[in-house]
Amino acid sequence: MHLFLLGVSHRTAPVDLRERLDFSSGDLSAAAEQIAARPSMSESVVLSTCNRSEIYVASDDPARAREELVTFLSDYHHVPAQTFQPHLFALENSAAVAHLFRVAAGLDSLVVGEPQILGQVKDAYQTAAAKHCVGSVLNNVFRWSFGVGKRVRTETALGEGAVSVSFAAVALARKIFGRLKGRQVLVIGAGEISSLTAQHLRAQGVGDIVITSRTHAHAEALAAEVGGVAVPWDGMVNALGSADIVITATGSQRPIITRAQLDAAGHRRSAALFIIDIAVPRDVDPAVGEIEQVFLYNIDDLQSIVEENLSKRAAEVERAESIVNEEVTRFMAWQRSRSAVPTIVALRHRFEAIRASELQRLEGKLAPLPPDARARVDDVTRLIVEKLLIEPTEQLKALPDEETQAAYTEAINRLFKLQQDEDSLKRP
Amino acid sequence: MNTLPLILYAAAGIAYAIHFARRDATIGRAATTLLLFGALVHTFVIGMQTMEVRHVPIANPSRAVSSFVWLLTLSYLYLEMTTDERSMGVFILPLIVGLQVIPAIYPGMESQDPVLDSPWFWVHISSLLFAYASFGLAGILGVTYMLQFKEIKKKHLGYFYTRLPSLQILDVMNSRAVTVGWIFLTLGVLVGVVWTAQARGVAPNDPNLKAMSLDDPKIFVAVVTWAVYSFAVGARRALGWTGRRAAWLSTVGFAFAMLNFLAINYFVTTSHTFY
Repeated sequence: MHLFLLGVSHRTAPVDLRERLDFSSGDLSAAAEQIAARPSMSESVVLSTCNRSEIYVASDDPARAREELVTFLSDYHHVPAQTFQPHLFALENSAAVAHLFRVAAGLDSLVVGEPQILGQVKDAYQTAAAKHCVGSVLNNVFRWSFGVGKRVRTETALGEGAVSVSFAAVALARKIFGRLKGRQVLVIGAGEISSLTAQHLRAQGVGDIVITSRTHAHAEALAAEVGGVAVPWDGMVNALGSADIVITATGSQRPIITRAQLDAAGHRRSAALFIIDIAVPRDVDPAVGEIEQVFLYNIDDLQSIVEENLSKRAAEVERAESIVNEEVTRFMAWQRSRSAVPTIVALRHRFEAIRASELQRLEGKLAPLPPDARARVDDVTRLIVEKLLIEPTEQLKALPDEETQAAYTEAINRLFKLQQDEDSLKRP
Repeated sequence: MNTLPLILYAAAGIAYAIHFARRDATIGRAATTLLLFGALVHTFVIGMQTMEVRHVPIANPSRAVSSFVWLLTLSYLYLEMTTDERSMGVFILPLIVGLQVIPAIYPGMESQDPVLDSPWFWVHISSLLFAYASFGLAGILGVTYMLQFKEIKKKHLGYFYTRLPSLQILDVMNSRAVTVGWIFLTLGVLVGVVWTAQARGVAPNDPNLKAMSLDDPKIFVAVVTWAVYSFAVGARRALGWTGRRAAWLSTVGFAFAMLNFLAINYFVTTSHTFY
C-alpha cells in the first residue's frame, strides 16, 4: 500500500485556479468519502486552505489513483482537467510524507511559520477520520505529522515574531501594557490596517474602542465592525485624554496630533500611551514621541519590525528543515519495522509448528520421562526457537530501505517455505 | 559552612543565564530546582548557626549578609512562583552569588555584646534585612525596566524585548517591592531609634551607643536611603512618577542600601561595631 498525494498549492498554481479547486466552501467529509470510495484508493484526507488543495490517499496503484483523482477534481469542481493538469503536483511515499511534515511544520506556507496550518491539517484529518476514510496508512502519517509540527514550533523560532503590521502593533502593546484587558483604544480615521489592528486588540479583551473619523459614517461603519463606539470628529482631543492605545490612519496632509494637543487633552504624563501612526504622511508630530511615557510607532517602524521578524524566521528555516528530514527518516524506519512484523510472525509460526510436530513425533520416547523432565524438554526446545529468532527479528526490523526489505522478505519466504497470503505480508 | 549554598546558587545562576539566552523551559526548571535546593541548604546553615549561638546569626556583618542573601533568595523565589516568570533570575542571581561570597570567605564570629540582648534587636535587624531584600528585587526590576524601556522607546526591539515580561508588569512588581521594603525600612529605623534611647539608660558608657547620631556614616546613609524610598513611594502616588522614573529611583535607592550594608558596615561605621 502506497501513500499518494495530488494537489495544487501557492507554489504551483495561481490564486484564481486555487479558488476554483478549493474544497473548504463545500462539504469536506463528503469529498473525502467520495474519493475513498473509488476502486484504486482505500483511504483519503482532503486538506484545503486558501493556499492549497491537497488530496492524500492510500493506494496500491498510484498511477491509476492519479487518473481517478484528476477525474474526480474535474467533476467535483466542474473545471476541465486540462486547465489544472499542468499545475498539479504529485508525490509518493517518502516524498509525500516529507511534504505533509513540511506543511504541518509551516515550512510550505506562504508566510513561513504561520500558526494556523497545523490546526487545519488536524481538522482535515479529523473530518476524514469521522467518516472512516482513514486507515492505517493515513492514520500513522497524519498523527506523526502533528508531532512534527509541534516539535518545529517548540524547538525553533520559526513561528515567532509578528509578521504583519497589525500583529506587530498588538505584540508591542502587550509588551508595554501586559494584559490588554480593559485598556482604552482610540482609532482615528478608518482604514484596513486600523480595522485589522482594532480587531486583534478586541480579541485581546481591550475595553472600549472609540472611533472617530472626519466622515462620521466611516467611523460608524468601523465601530459596527469591531464592536466600538463612534464619536464625532471634534470629540477627538477629549477621547485622547483617556486613551491608552491610539491608532491613527487619516489622509490628513498635516499632523493631527501635536504635542500641544496632547497636553491639552490632559493626558496624564505618568500613564503610558502607545500611539500607532499608520498614516502616510504622518498624523502624529514626531515631537510627541519625546514625551517620556509616549511610545510612538509609525508605519515604517512597524514595517521594519515585520521585516526583521521575517528574516529571523528565514534564519530558522534550515533548522526546521533538518527536523523535518530527521522525522521523515524516523517515520520511514518505523514504518519498515512495522511492515516486517507479518514476516516475523510467519517465521515464528513456522518454527513453532516444527517444534510442536517434532515433540509430537517423539511423544512415544518422551512418555516414560517423569513430569518435570518432560517439562524441561519443552522449555529447552522453546528456548532454542526463541534464540534462533532473536537476530533475524532485529535484522528484519532495521533494514535500511524498502527494496532491501522486499528482497529479504522474499528470501525468507523461500528459505523457510512460509505459508501465507501475499496481502498479509504487504500490510504494515 | 556558607560555601555549599554558594556553590548551589552559582550553579543556579549559570542555569538561569542559559535559560535566559536559549529560552529553554527545561533548563529554566532546573535553575529553579537548584535555587530551591540552595535555599534549603542555606536554611539549614542558618538553623545550625542559630542553634550554635542561640539566636538568629545576624549580629556580625558577614552573618547578616548571609541572612540577607537567604531572605533575598526566598523573596525572589516567591516572586518567581507567583508570577510564573523566570527571566528575572539571570539578573538577581549575580547579586545573590556575589554577596554570598562574603560569608563564605569571612565566616566571622557572632557578637556576644550584652547590649544586643534585647527583643528590639531582632525586630530592628530582621526588618532591615527584609527591607533590603525587597529593595534588591525592586532594584533588579528597575534595571530590567530601563533596559526594556530603552529598547521599545528607541524602536530597537532586541535581546531584552523578546525575553522580559511587559513594562506594566515590571512596574507593578517594582511598586510592590518598594512599598513593602519601605514599610520594613521605616519599622527598622524607628525601632532602632527607640531601642537606642532605651539602651542608653541601661549602658550609658557603651562606645557604640555614644556614636549613635546623624554624624555616624551608617546612620546618615540609612536616613538618606529612607528619604530616597519615601520619595519614591510618595512621588508614584502624588506626582505620577511611575515607569522609568520609579525604576531609576529604585536602583539609586538600592545603591545606597548596599553602600550602607557592605562598605560602611565593614569599614567606616563607629556606631554599629558589635564584633
